[in-house]
Amino acid sequence: MTAQDTIRARARELLESGEVASFVGWEAGRFANQTTPLIISDPADADKLVFNEYCVNTLAKYVRDLVPRGKVGLVVRGCDSRGIVRLIVDQVIKREDVYLIGVGCPGVIDRKSGEPLKKCTECRHNNPVICDEMAGDEVAKDAPADRFAEVREVELMAQPERSRYFESIYAKCIRCYACRDVCPCCTCRECFVDARRENWVGKQNNVAENRFYGLTRVMHIGDRCIECGECERVCPMDLPLMKLNRKVIQDLNDLFGEFESSMSLDEGPEPLITYDLADREEFM
Amino acid sequence: MSRIGVFLCYCGSNIAGTVDVEAVAEMARSLPEVVYVETNKYTCSDPGQEGVKNAIIEKGIDRVVVGACSPRMHEPTWRKLLADTPVNPYMLEVANLREQCSWVHKDREVATAKAIDLVKMAVAKVARLQPLHSIEIPVHKKALVIGGGIAGMQTALDIADAGFQVTIVERETSLGGKMVMLDKTFPTMDCSACICTPKMSEVGNHPNITVKSYSEVENVSGYIGNFEVTIREKAKFIDYNLCTGCGACETKCPAKVTNAFEQGMSQRTAIYKMFPQAVPAKPVIDAEHCLKLTTGKCGVCSKVCPTGAINYEDEDKLTTETYGAVVFATGYKLIDWKPLYPEYGGGKYEDVITGLQFERLVNASGPTEGHVLRPSDRTEPKSVVIIKCVGSRDPNKGKAYCSRACCMYSAKHAHQYLDKVPDGKCYVFYMDVRTPGKGYDEFYMNTLHDGAQYIRGRVSKIYKEGDKLICKGEDTLTSSQVTVSADMVVLETAMVPADGIDELAAKFTVGRDADSWLVEAHAKLRPVETNTAGIYLAGTCQGPKDIPDSVCQAGAAASKVIGLLNKDALQSNPQISRVNETLCQGDGACVNICPYGAISIVEKQFRENSRKVVRPVAQVNPGLCQGCGACTVTCRAGAMDLLGYTNESIMREVDALCQW
Amino acid sequence: MSVVETNEAAAQVPENWEPKIIAFCCHWCTYTGADLAGLNRMNYPANVRVLRIPCSGRMNPQYVIEALNKGCDGVLVCGCHPGDCHYVTGNYFARRRMMIFKRLLEYEGLEPDRFQVRWISGAEAGKFRDTVMSVVEQVRALGPLNLTREIPYFELPAVPDGEEAFDAVPEEVVPEEVSA
Repeated sequence: MTAQDTIRARARELLESGEVASFVGWEAGRFANQTTPLIISDPADADKLVFNEYCVNTLAKYVRDLVPRGKVGLVVRGCDSRGIVRLIVDQVIKREDVYLIGVGCPGVIDRKSGEPLKKCTECRHNNPVICDEMAGDEVAKDAPADRFAEVREVELMAQPERSRYFESIYAKCIRCYACRDVCPCCTCRECFVDARRENWVGKQNNVAENRFYGLTRVMHIGDRCIECGECERVCPMDLPLMKLNRKVIQDLNDLFGEFESSMSLDEGPEPLITYDLADREEFM
Repeated sequence: MSRIGVFLCYCGSNIAGTVDVEAVAEMARSLPEVVYVETNKYTCSDPGQEGVKNAIIEKGIDRVVVGACSPRMHEPTWRKLLADTPVNPYMLEVANLREQCSWVHKDREVATAKAIDLVKMAVAKVARLQPLHSIEIPVHKKALVIGGGIAGMQTALDIADAGFQVTIVERETSLGGKMVMLDKTFPTMDCSACICTPKMSEVGNHPNITVKSYSEVENVSGYIGNFEVTIREKAKFIDYNLCTGCGACETKCPAKVTNAFEQGMSQRTAIYKMFPQAVPAKPVIDAEHCLKLTTGKCGVCSKVCPTGAINYEDEDKLTTETYGAVVFATGYKLIDWKPLYPEYGGGKYEDVITGLQFERLVNASGPTEGHVLRPSDRTEPKSVVIIKCVGSRDPNKGKAYCSRACCMYSAKHAHQYLDKVPDGKCYVFYMDVRTPGKGYDEFYMNTLHDGAQYIRGRVSKIYKEGDKLICKGEDTLTSSQVTVSADMVVLETAMVPADGIDELAAKFTVGRDADSWLVEAHAKLRPVETNTAGIYLAGTCQGPKDIPDSVCQAGAAASKVIGLLNKDALQSNPQISRVNETLCQGDGACVNICPYGAISIVEKQFRENSRKVVRPVAQVNPGLCQGCGACTVTCRAGAMDLLGYTNESIMREVDALCQW
Repeated sequence: MSVVETNEAAAQVPENWEPKIIAFCCHWCTYTGADLAGLNRMNYPANVRVLRIPCSGRMNPQYVIEALNKGCDGVLVCGCHPGDCHYVTGNYFARRRMMIFKRLLEYEGLEPDRFQVRWISGAEAGKFRDTVMSVVEQVRALGPLNLTREIPYFELPAVPDGEEAFDAVPEEVVPEEVSA
């Protein structure tokens, strides 16, 4: 039985028994090399579910809107499961709100280029970190040798060049907020960009306001980022957003000890909401 | 639209000397929402203040900017002034034109330009402020003292003498703490029991003091003036209303238990008083060892009790009361040296004892009735080695800190030993001798005259040869190896916080340092307060101390408590955090960051999209929040905001500055 | 690579240019220290404007972005020495946050001197003056901060027209339909 068969069978059982009210997976798209996320509540629809190398979307965040309707069944790979951990730790959902069917993931393929997606070549945890049952076995996959290679690339640039590089990024950004909407860390009930009273970010789409958004986004999610790379994948302007996220993660790593967010439900507080008396002192 | 009044002060020539105040006023008139600008020679003077008041009424001003000296100087003055006007006292912003402008710059043009910016910033901020109201927090005129040692007793007595009700919670069966275990006290050599037990009975008899012995704090909620504390009174199995404390039961009880009060050097019965002068002077039954309670057979005590006070059915009692103030006087214990110092035998040798055991050995009411007899064979030791800093000043094995009292009590032990065994030899291994205190160094010198031999260095090994304990060490003054053959070794071990302090402090959100000593609010200026308002520290729970220092701190804590209980109500600081529940997601990052434990996550019901939703949101306790605003930064959505320093007001202040 | 060309203005320092620096100071320590500098009639450049916050733990990085975006040439954040925080732990959190944020700003090309964090106690009037003087001098040496605000003009790719527009199909739509 393939993982896809198991997913279909289990989804049907779960929906029929009423254990879950809805089930989230992927369905085949119009084209063979395309899938789209699928939310079903009718057991008869279970056969629409697919699992193949084109399942590019990370599913965790869909759960947020489904939970009020009842327990949600969900297929989770490494990235989806860490997204779920994130949502649980951030009190967006509760552990008992979701039923997780884990699958090992060999990485997915960019349908345009036929190459593995960037986020998958960078992936360090392709098997679920939490799940209720596994569909198929865990999959062995090489983790990238250097987690921060792209950050170091930028760090090696001279200062004015770096400045220009990021200004060009912010000049391209159209502030569609796709990166925010897809991010399992971005679960505020109202994003700071929409706060009218504080008016953190102006309505204009210009470099300055985009910079405000970009920098603040990283400060907000940096110590919780699960490195799923979805922000980068969904960016319609192809901005290298993970270069920013990973910069913060790299610094947290260097300064406050090895850090990888959302690996289990009982992690201590994130590095930026805790402290250590022995922290490095550089502001004296 | 707000109606802002700007009042600029010349401060004689203090400000006007370098700042063109009229130019600043001219600019201020052009700012949006500013309806009135006035300059004054001395705004803080009576006529100046009168002018402000009149202008507020006449011009219908609803918020005020004062450009004068530092807000640290006169902000309270302006707030008080506004309290007499229709303007809310918190609709005020002070531009610091003196300390941070006219006094630090010489160039008139530059200083005026800066003053203009400062006023602009203040106007921008004040336009975004909201009226704030402090709430009255009632003060329950009753204090709770946790711990009935000398510090706790002193605090309780001082508070009670001032006319307030005090409850002492003591987890042992009697008051007295560590002091009552001691034999004599340095440097005067008063008998410890003689000065401690009168305090105990004074506490026991004081009309304003309730002693809850054999009790522990179970639960706490609330804040300054209103701590709701649940106390668990452990089952004593004796009705204290009937018991006369005659002691007949103790003499007949067949169970034998190691006596912790005598530091394990003798045995007690299962129904027992901790020591003869215990307060309350009534026994309890140790449920773990009582034959009746463990096996169901015995019941001798109930047969011999003349008043029928024994009740084997007794249960733990929980009582909840509200206290206005809490004092920690939880004290210390000695470090468990055995696992740390295997080279000293690690507990293998009976005659290697701690200082507290030595206290009991020389005490006339102790297990040897005051004769110095070593525990193993009850013979008089002819040579004694005292080792100081066991566990103190030793970060590798024990604690990095100095336990402060050991230098003095080791000198006292040497003195007492030489006094009782005149032909004995006493060797003291020391790192330093620290005797800062009244009469302390003189006492140390006397001990030297008594014949105690001080050897500067640590003992590296103790082993047994025959019935002798061989102590190998180094004399660092002569750089030579020293071997002393001793009959008994006394280890002056480090003080560490009492058991269970972490859990107890966490209940009250009192800070602890790395060694679990409780942390004072300010090391120099607020040494008896904690960061949680209404909670104070007395004695060794804050760090190692000797008796006089403990008593001093106890008195200081009591005076703070009296000051607090004297008030009928407290005015809360309204510049505290506020939660916008619509935005709050309840992820609890703010809970983590709050140093006062003022934020909690509660489940609340909301109506959202015409549906009832129950979801977690943060809740700020106005009695605990001190208004630091650390929580606001962790809140990504900005649901948490600090009143008086809102995100909006700071952002507009930054914007105002950037227009320059 | 970049749609933003080198900002010519950055190289030119306008006449009579003075650096504009905002200092976020904690009320209990640095603001007190700054007041003490005044009481002692110390002298320091007027380029710094102090904005009072209750605690360095209140310091939201977003204020810094706003200040730099809206035209400040430098930002200084000051608080109590670690261990001396009036609110016990505020500056420990601030220290972590500011360490990360400063590295992020520098990563994006901000000169390190333009954003500085210093611990200055209520007694350290001299340190406050020295810090202000050195920050002003360092920023003066760097010149005005010319962050790009507007998106520079650039040529859009030609829009297909007429017949061409009708036939234009986004290239990624590969006509390989899935059979049901």
